[in-house]
Amino acid sequence: MTNKKKLWQIFGPVLAAFALIGLLFLLPFPLNHLSPQAIRESSVSFASNIIKGEAVKKAAFNNKETNYVPFFGSSELTRFDSMHPSVLAAKYHRDYQPFMMGQAGTESMIHYMSMQEMRPALNHKKAVFIISPQWFTKKGVNVFFANFYSPLQLVDWLLNIQKITPTDQFMAKSLLNQSVVSQSNLYAGLVTKIENGQALSSADISRLRLEHRILSREDQLFSNYVGSNNWQNKVVKNMQSLPADYNSTDLDSVVTKQAEKASNSNDFLIKNSFYKQRIVPQEKRLKGSQVKFNYRESIEYSYMQAVLDQFAQEHTDVLFVIAPVNQRWSDYTGLSREMYYQSVDKIKYQLQSQGFNNIADLSHRGGEKYFMQDTIHIGWRGWLEADQYIDPFLSSDYQDVNYQINDRFLSTDWQKFDSSKQNVESFS
Amino acid sequence: MLNLQPYADPTYFIYLLLALVPLAIGLYYGKRFVWYEVIVSLLFIFLIFDSGRYIQQGIALIIYMLWETALVAWYTSYRKRANNSWVFYITTFLSILPILAVRIGDTGLFKTQLTLLGFLGISYLTFRTVGTIIETRDGSIKEFSLPLFLRFVLFMPTLSSGPIDRYRHFNQDATVAPSRDKYIEFLGKAVWYFFLGFLYKFILAYGFEHLYSYTQNMAMADASQGWSWWLIGVGYSYGFYLFFDFAGYSLFAVATGYVMGFDVPMNFKQPFRSKNLKDFWNRWHITLSFWFRDFVFMRLVFTMMKNKVFKSRITTSNVAYIVNMLIMGFWHGLTWYYIVYGLFHGVGLVVNDAWLRYKKKHKVPHNKLTEYFAIFLTLNVVMFSLLIFCGFLDKFWFHH
Repeated sequence: MTNKKKLWQIFGPVLAAFALIGLLFLLPFPLNHLSPQAIRESSVSFASNIIKGEAVKKAAFNNKETNYVPFFGSSELTRFDSMHPSVLAAKYHRDYQPFMMGQAGTESMIHYMSMQEMRPALNHKKAVFIISPQWFTKKGVNVFFANFYSPLQLVDWLLNIQKITPTDQFMAKSLLNQSVVSQSNLYAGLVTKIENGQALSSADISRLRLEHRILSREDQLFSNYVGSNNWQNKVVKNMQSLPADYNSTDLDSVVTKQAEKASNSNDFLIKNSFYKQRIVPQEKRLKGSQVKFNYRESIEYSYMQAVLDQFAQEHTDVLFVIAPVNQRWSDYTGLSREMYYQSVDKIKYQLQSQGFNNIADLSHRGGEKYFMQDTIHIGWRGWLEADQYIDPFLSSDYQDVNYQINDRFLSTDWQKFDSSKQNVESFS
Repeated sequence: MLNLQPYADPTYFIYLLLALVPLAIGLYYGKRFVWYEVIVSLLFIFLIFDSGRYIQQGIALIIYMLWETALVAWYTSYRKRANNSWVFYITTFLSILPILAVRIGDTGLFKTQLTLLGFLGISYLTFRTVGTIIETRDGSIKEFSLPLFLRFVLFMPTLSSGPIDRYRHFNQDATVAPSRDKYIEFLGKAVWYFFLGFLYKFILAYGFEHLYSYTQNMAMADASQGWSWWLIGVGYSYGFYLFFDFAGYSLFAVATGYVMGFDVPMNFKQPFRSKNLKDFWNRWHITLSFWFRDFVFMRLVFTMMKNKVFKSRITTSNVAYIVNMLIMGFWHGLTWYYIVYGLFHGVGLVVNDAWLRYKKKHKVPHNKLTEYFAIFLTLNVVMFSLLIFCGFLDKFWFHH
C-alpha cells in the first residue's frame, strides 16, 4: 500500500465525519418531531432539558390542538394529587392545559433565562407564576443555576437585546457571577459588554447567530426522547378518583377524605411517604432549625424583577400565586410567621406597584387542614383553592395589560429593604 | 483574553491540531522542527495560564521550574564528582518540597500562602523531575542538557496530568524524526485515540458524571442514618466516571504526542478486566504505578534487603507494598480518604500476594468460571476503593 493510500485511510474517515457533522448542523430540516402525546408527556415531565432548550417549548406552545399555558414555579409543581392543576384541567376538559416549567430549585433567574427561548409564547398570552418565598434567601437559591442553564438560553438572551436596559445590565452582572458563564471565553466577553452597557458589534451578532444554529440543532437532536411516564402514572391515575362533574364543594369533600388517609401518620398532616422518608430520619434535628430564616432581604427580589420586566415587555397576562408553608410544620421548625408575611408583603408591593394585580395570595392559609401536601408544598385542598383563581383566569380571554416597570426594584436598596422595620409603601 | 484549558472542549482540538500541522508535515518528510515545537508548546502553555485565576498558577510554574532546573543541574554536576547518599536524599527532598508545601496548604495550614505555589500539573512535573534525579544518581543519566530537560518536563501534551514519561525514553524521540512508516503508524493511532478519547471523555464520562452527582444527592438524603444503599451507586458511577474521564484525557495526550512524533507511553489498558489487584495496577494509571514500582517499591525492597531489615523476603515485600501505596495515597493529598485508599490498596496487594502463594502451593481449581469470578471480585474491590477515594464519604459522614 502506498503512503498516500495509507494517509487517505487514516484521514478519510475524519473528513467524512466533519462533513456529516456539517450537514447535520446546516441542513434546513428539523431534527426533532414531538407527537401530541410526547408534548403532553413533556408538560408534566419537569425535565431540565425543557428549561434549557427551545425545541420542546416551541413544539408545545406552537401546537394548535391543545392550548398549553406555561406554569412557572418550582418543586410544588411536582406535587401531584387529584387536585393538581394538570389533573383538573385534563379531567374537566378545560380550554387550557398547564405546561409545567420548573422543578426543585428553579427560581426567578432560571425562569428568566428560560423565558428567553419562548418569547412568542409569552407575547400577548397568559401565564401562571407560582412564587415561593423560600426562594428569597439572602443570596438567592441559584446554586442550582448551572443545572438548568444552557448556552442556548444565553445566546437567545443576547440576541433578544435590542437596547440595553438596566435589567439586562443587572442580569449580565448576575450571569458573570455564575462560573458556567464566566468560564466561557466567548460568552463571558459578550456578557461583560452588556454589563458595561456596550452594544454588541455586528461581528458578535453573526457569531451568535452561528452559535444559535449549532446549539439549537443540538437541542433538537436531544429533545426527541421524553423520559417520563408522569402523564399515565400521575395525571391519569389521579383523574380516576374524581367525580364526573366539577363542583368545588364536592371536590373539597373528595380530596379531604383522600388527604386524611394519606397523611394520617403524623400531626403535621404531611403526606405519609414524605414524612417517613424525609422527616423521620432527622425530625429531632429539625426542631427549631429555621428560627433564624429570613426571606425579607434577598437578591431574589431583583431576579423576580427581571422576570416581571420580561412579562411587561411581552405584555403577558400573568396570574401570580404566592405559596404558603405548612404552619403545623413551620411552628415546629421555628420559622417566623411574621417574617414570612412581611416577605410576602414585600413581594406583593413589588408586584402591585408595577401593575401586576392578578395575585392569588395563599400565603396566610398554610394552617388550614390538608392545604399543604408536605412541609412547604401546597397540595390537596391547597391546589383546589388555587384552582379557584387559576380556572377563571385561564378560561377567560386574554386582556392586554399595562405594567409600569420600576428599575429601582433591581437595586440593592430594595434587596436589603427590611419590611419588618419600614412600611413597604415608603419605598419608591 | 483567549484562555485554553487542555482538551477541555472541541475548539481546543481545532486550535491545537491546526498549530501542529507544520510540525506534522516536517515529521512526515523526516525533519523535526524543534524550534517550532518549542514555540507552539510555549504558546499553548501560555494560553493555559494567561487569564484570571490561572495567572497566579503561571507565575508559580515559572518559579517551580527555576527551582527544579537549578536542583537537577546542580545535582548532575555534583554527581560527576561524588555520590553521597545524603546529598541525594536532600536533593530529592528539595525537589518534592514545592508539592509537599502545596499539599500541606490544601489541608488548611498556611493555606493562602502555600497554595500560591500550586499550579495545574505540579505533581506530574514533580514525577518527571524526581525520576530524573534518581536516574542521575543511578548513573543512567550522565549529562544535563537544559533544553532537553525543559522540553521533557514541560512537554505540552502531557503537562497537566501525564502520562509520566522517563527522561531517557523521551530523549530517544526528542532530536530525531521517526521513520516515515513509523510516523504514519503514529498518525493512524493518533486519529483512533482522539476519537476513542472523545467517546470516553465527552460522552461516557459526561454521562457517568451526571449519574455520580445524582447518586450523591440520593445518598445525601440518607446521610443522617450513616448508611445508604445509594453509596454503591456513588462508588460505581464515580469509578466509571474517573476511568472514562482520565483514560479519555490520557488518550488525547498520547495522541497529541504521536502527532508531535513522540512515542508517549499509554496510561490505561482495560483495567476493568484485571484478574487481581496486581494486574489492576499494571493496567490502571500505568505510568504512575510503574513510576512508583521502579522508584519507590523496588528501591525500598532493595534497601531493606541490603540492610537485612527483615529476615523474610515476604515480610520485606509486604512492608514495601504498604509503604509504596501509602505514599501514593499521600501524594493524592493529605486527607483521611486518600490515605485510607492508599492503605487499602497496600493491604490489598499483600492479601493478593498471599493468595497467589497459597494458590501455587495448593491445588486450587482454575477455569473460565473462576477467572470471571476473579474479574468480578477485583472490579468490586476496586470500585469500593474508589468510593473511598472520591471523598464523598467524608461529606456523607462528617460534613452533611
